[in-house]
Amino acid sequence: MITLNQLGKTFGTAMAVEDVSLTVPEGAFLVLLGPSGCGKTTILRMLAGLEHPTQGIIRFGDTVVADAGRGFTLEPGRRNAGLVFQSYALWPHMTVSGNVEWPLRVANLNREERRARVAEALEMLGVAKLANRYPGEISGGQQQRVAIARMIAPRPRVLLFDEPLSNLDATLRVEMRTELLRVHRATGATAVYVTHDQIEAMTMATHVAVMNGGKVEQFDTPQRLLSDPASAFVARFIGTPPANLIPVQDGSWFGMMPCAALRGASGHGMIRAEDLMLANAPEPGVIAANLVEVVPMAGRRLVTGLVQGQRLTAVTDPHSPLPADLHFRLPLAAAAIFDVQGRRVI
Amino acid sequence: MPIRPFRPLQLPAGLGLNLIVLLVLVLLVAAPLLTILMQTLAPDRIGAWRDVLASPLSPNLFWRPAANTMILGFGVATGCVLIGGLLAWLVVMTDMPFRRLIGFLATLPFMIPSFATALAWGTVFRNGRVGGGGGLLEGMGIAVPDALAWGMVPTMLVLIAHYYALAFTVIAAALATVNGDLVEAAQMTGANRRRVLFGIVLPVVMPAIIAGGSLCFAAAVSNFAAPALLGLPVRMQTLSTRLFGMIEIGQVERGYVLAILLIAISAVFLALGNRLLAGRRSFATISGKGGRARRFALGTARLPLTALALLICVLTTIVPILLLIAASLAPMASALFSNWTLQFWIGDADPAFARGQAGILNNPQLLRALSLTMGLGAIVALIANVIGILIAVALTRHRLRGISEAVSQLSFLPMLLPGIAFGAAYIALYGAPIGPLPALYGTTTLLALALTAAMLPFAVQTGRATVAQISGDIDEAARLTGAGFLRRIGAITLPLASRGLIASLLLCFVNVVSDLAIVVLLYTPTTPLFSVLSYRYASDGFHQFANAVTLVILAISTLAAGLAALLRGRNRPWLSS
Amino acid sequence: MMRPALFSLCLTLPLATPAFAQDLDMLTPADLLPLAQEEGTVTVYSFTSRIGRVEAAFEAAYPGIDMIGFDLSSTEMIARLRSEASAGIANADVIYVSDSPVVLTELLDAGLIAPYVPPRVADLLPDSAKSPVLQQRLSTKVLMYNEESYPDGAPVDNLWDLTQPAWNGRVMMVDPLQRGDYLDLMTEIVLRADEMAVAYEAAFGEEITLDDGITDAGRQFIVDLFANDVVLFGSTDDVNVAIGATGQDAAPIGFTTYSDRRDNADEGWALQVANEVMPSNGIVFPALLALNPNGPNPAAARLAVDFLMGDDTETGGAGFAPFYVAGDWATRTDIAPHPDAIPLDDFNGWRIDPQQTATIRADVADLILQVQ
Repeated sequence: MITLNQLGKTFGTAMAVEDVSLTVPEGAFLVLLGPSGCGKTTILRMLAGLEHPTQGIIRFGDTVVADAGRGFTLEPGRRNAGLVFQSYALWPHMTVSGNVEWPLRVANLNREERRARVAEALEMLGVAKLANRYPGEISGGQQQRVAIARMIAPRPRVLLFDEPLSNLDATLRVEMRTELLRVHRATGATAVYVTHDQIEAMTMATHVAVMNGGKVEQFDTPQRLLSDPASAFVARFIGTPPANLIPVQDGSWFGMMPCAALRGASGHGMIRAEDLMLANAPEPGVIAANLVEVVPMAGRRLVTGLVQGQRLTAVTDPHSPLPADLHFRLPLAAAAIFDVQGRRVI
Repeated sequence: MPIRPFRPLQLPAGLGLNLIVLLVLVLLVAAPLLTILMQTLAPDRIGAWRDVLASPLSPNLFWRPAANTMILGFGVATGCVLIGGLLAWLVVMTDMPFRRLIGFLATLPFMIPSFATALAWGTVFRNGRVGGGGGLLEGMGIAVPDALAWGMVPTMLVLIAHYYALAFTVIAAALATVNGDLVEAAQMTGANRRRVLFGIVLPVVMPAIIAGGSLCFAAAVSNFAAPALLGLPVRMQTLSTRLFGMIEIGQVERGYVLAILLIAISAVFLALGNRLLAGRRSFATISGKGGRARRFALGTARLPLTALALLICVLTTIVPILLLIAASLAPMASALFSNWTLQFWIGDADPAFARGQAGILNNPQLLRALSLTMGLGAIVALIANVIGILIAVALTRHRLRGISEAVSQLSFLPMLLPGIAFGAAYIALYGAPIGPLPALYGTTTLLALALTAAMLPFAVQTGRATVAQISGDIDEAARLTGAGFLRRIGAITLPLASRGLIASLLLCFVNVVSDLAIVVLLYTPTTPLFSVLSYRYASDGFHQFANAVTLVILAISTLAAGLAALLRGRNRPWLSS
Repeated sequence: MMRPALFSLCLTLPLATPAFAQDLDMLTPADLLPLAQEEGTVTVYSFTSRIGRVEAAFEAAYPGIDMIGFDLSSTEMIARLRSEASAGIANADVIYVSDSPVVLTELLDAGLIAPYVPPRVADLLPDSAKSPVLQQRLSTKVLMYNEESYPDGAPVDNLWDLTQPAWNGRVMMVDPLQRGDYLDLMTEIVLRADEMAVAYEAAFGEEITLDDGITDAGRQFIVDLFANDVVLFGSTDDVNVAIGATGQDAAPIGFTTYSDRRDNADEGWALQVANEVMPSNGIVFPALLALNPNGPNPAAARLAVDFLMGDDTETGGAGFAPFYVAGDWATRTDIAPHPDAIPLDDFNGWRIDPQQTATIRADVADLILQVQ
């Protein structure tokens, strides 16, 4: 169980993390999701003990590992946590097995135990054959596996990942996601995973904290993020394809198509791609668009058009013909309405 | 005739570059060296080899000096790496206060002539063995044993105090590029600071440590001033004092044989160093994203370590500089702190003073020498470093069996060649016209060529340490854009290497400006240089003038160093907090 | 091989032919002057920086001739002349050099320098100063002591005293294997082995017994001196400080340059020469003047040598002024000894014979190498 209590961090005068409180249970897979600069990595580094919070408390289970109020932080090495760096941070002067073994040496494990654990970890990540190679001699994907093996060999209770897949190609990334989940399940440890890729978050997380500007926008399960976004920011960030956020002014779509369901609101109305229909000709509730792209996707077809400079995407039946002039039919009601500040209104 | 598809000849990558740098080295280094070697192989001279290696003379002529030289070389290299490395670590990786100041001071000792450091030692530790009144300690009634006043111990300490700046420069540049993630990854395991330092940081910067150590080794075994001042009174000879003496008393062949042996022995050890380097994998940052630098908190050790670092810097920079200043003000070399006068600096020609010599700032030649020396220093430093970077790239990126070994060794040799032999070989080789090329005798070009060759060891070693830290991907990324080799060097490698490069430029500049041995054989009165001016004063017995000139050189070098630091400004991650 | 135009011109001009050079050798300064002015410059390689002051005086005396002086140590000069010659370059006109034993073998025998005695001063010089190469003046490496520490005069009167326990570790000199003039001093002691043997008897009242493998009293002295822990330095200045610094109770003694005594006041020394020493207090050796046989300005070269030998006044005038110092002596018999120094005739030092010295110099160096 990891608990953050009013966690904050300032660098000089810059506020990197502000008032973050959340709790995940033992064995959870928490993803800190957000664009770069949102403070997610800073939180991760505070969890690792590499940064000291300037506010708040961090607990692993019942153990306080950092308490800004008392000026207390537990050394990184004594938190029973492991970290996979974005750069992997493999020690270039050690072989693959040397990299995995070194933390075990530091932990004063005996030789037998070390050998067994190194073998186990390398085996688990499928890189046993590379044991005697140097990091500079293996591929990026292999380096990633070694970095993970190095992290899990000491059997930490908390697994920390700093955008670990961002340097991999798409195929490898999918493969490694599965791999990471397998490792997570096998170890039973609590994982905290930082990424800007919402697909990673949706596929891997049990809990997601969507972050923006140092604050948590929404802390929820992946499903709830989709079904019930707490802010326009979250709604825009989540989903494949993400939901359409259409500007609304005084109860009118685009300020020109009045709709009772908008209840006179100003801001954005959210329409999920699957709720947006195609139409052939202008009529009430239908708006003309310029076709941007058509993407076939797993038995469906995504059609994206541009309306007043705004991208709208609809999920359609791949077999129905595309209208000659693209028009979108808006549903009767918005799935959610956000005010001008992006706060959820309805 | 059947059309055959065009198939370019498959040559190893970088062969062209390797051949070009090899050619440059053959012309600049190997040819003069061969000239010297050939002189010792003439039928009437070949006996010198037997005299040196296998005769009743050889123990004193070669073996004992060789043993002293090696002890000195290894001792100095070790000491320099320890002190330079410690300071580099403190400055780059810890939260020590005054990092900027210490980082600056630690580069200075090399700019101070080693005789000044030796002089500083003598001022304190000099004992009655040489008459003339003792040093400060004896003045306070403390007896100084010979072992502390003369011979191996003081020579080694003085040379360490002088050359640790080389190791500092190279190691600090390398430490600054160590990916902070590597350190944090180690901290995550719970390893303590010591363990992180010895298990991770040191091995990763090992190439720089070996490069710095090699440089110090070569510098120490070829240094003449310190062993001559501090070793001779107890008859400690090194190969450098021995070979200087042999040339000086007219036994040139023996001198050259000693020089060649010095080169050979050093080459063996430097090759071992190279092997160590080559055996290790490239330590270039594995991924593109450089980690943030994280400073070790020194905790309770902060104050003692800061004090130690400051003490080292003060003892090795401030004290020798103050002594130099005193020596340029005191009329009597035997009483450095009395009757100070500015006559040696600004005095008019006065027959009653210093045999009518005017102060150096009244010497009309000074200004001309100033501009000429600065210009030559800048040009030579620049050319040497461009060649140095090319060689470093060839050595780190495009290693080719055989060629790389030769390139690596050749680039190190000039440091070990006696300047006088080097200068003579240059006149013999390039003084006369070669084919369509004009005679270079008496031209500044010849001077610049010889000095460039002499500076290569510095340029190449610092270059290697720097280039090794630049990830190959970065170069490859530029390559994919279609940028040519020179363009990549200019746009990618040089800017990234700028930190190490500026340090190396300074080292070369200072060396050129204060070099005498080569210059004195090649200069002409139309090209008066500082070192010649200074020599002229010293040979006339006026060390005050010579010291004043040295101080001018030092001041200019320090200014240049400061200017470079300013230019780099905030671009010094290891100094910003 | 192609030569640059300048040099080939010089080589093909009739001026450079031996016959013409012979003719030049006979000319008076007045006859040389117009030829020299036509040449316009003269380059002097000098082992002392005092050439700078000669330059000014020369150009004042002979307007229109530019004297270019190079400061080089004797060793550097020899290296430079040799490498220039092998590259076919003739840069220097006049060679002003010390280190005569090496010069004679390395340069004169190899034809890299040519002797020239200005006819104007030929009759004013002893024969020893004219052959094989012109000697301009004489300098010294002799036993000096601290006159403040020993107000009653030199503490030794025999070189053999220096091998006694009283002077153990208290005899200073520059390493003879670092500086040629000190090697010349050691060599002279060997050449004067007979005198050393006599001096030994005078000191100890018995005939000298030689160590195994030691062939004469001179070599025995070197062995004994080194066995008595003679202290070696890298430069004469260090020796001067060691011996001469004032405020010492029992200052050491040692070999250095007599003329350095003139710096006593400036430097805070109390150097004084020990002249009454058996069999001698050291050596007196020449500074040589010679021509480059292929020099580009043969007339100006001869004019410069003539100038450097001094004019007909009592102190040698402007050309000799930089060298008219106490403790050095002009070779010209008509130039008066410096009033502050012992006249050469009363000086107890041995005049070295460079050719004799050259014959055994390397052997002596080997001996020192073994006993060091």
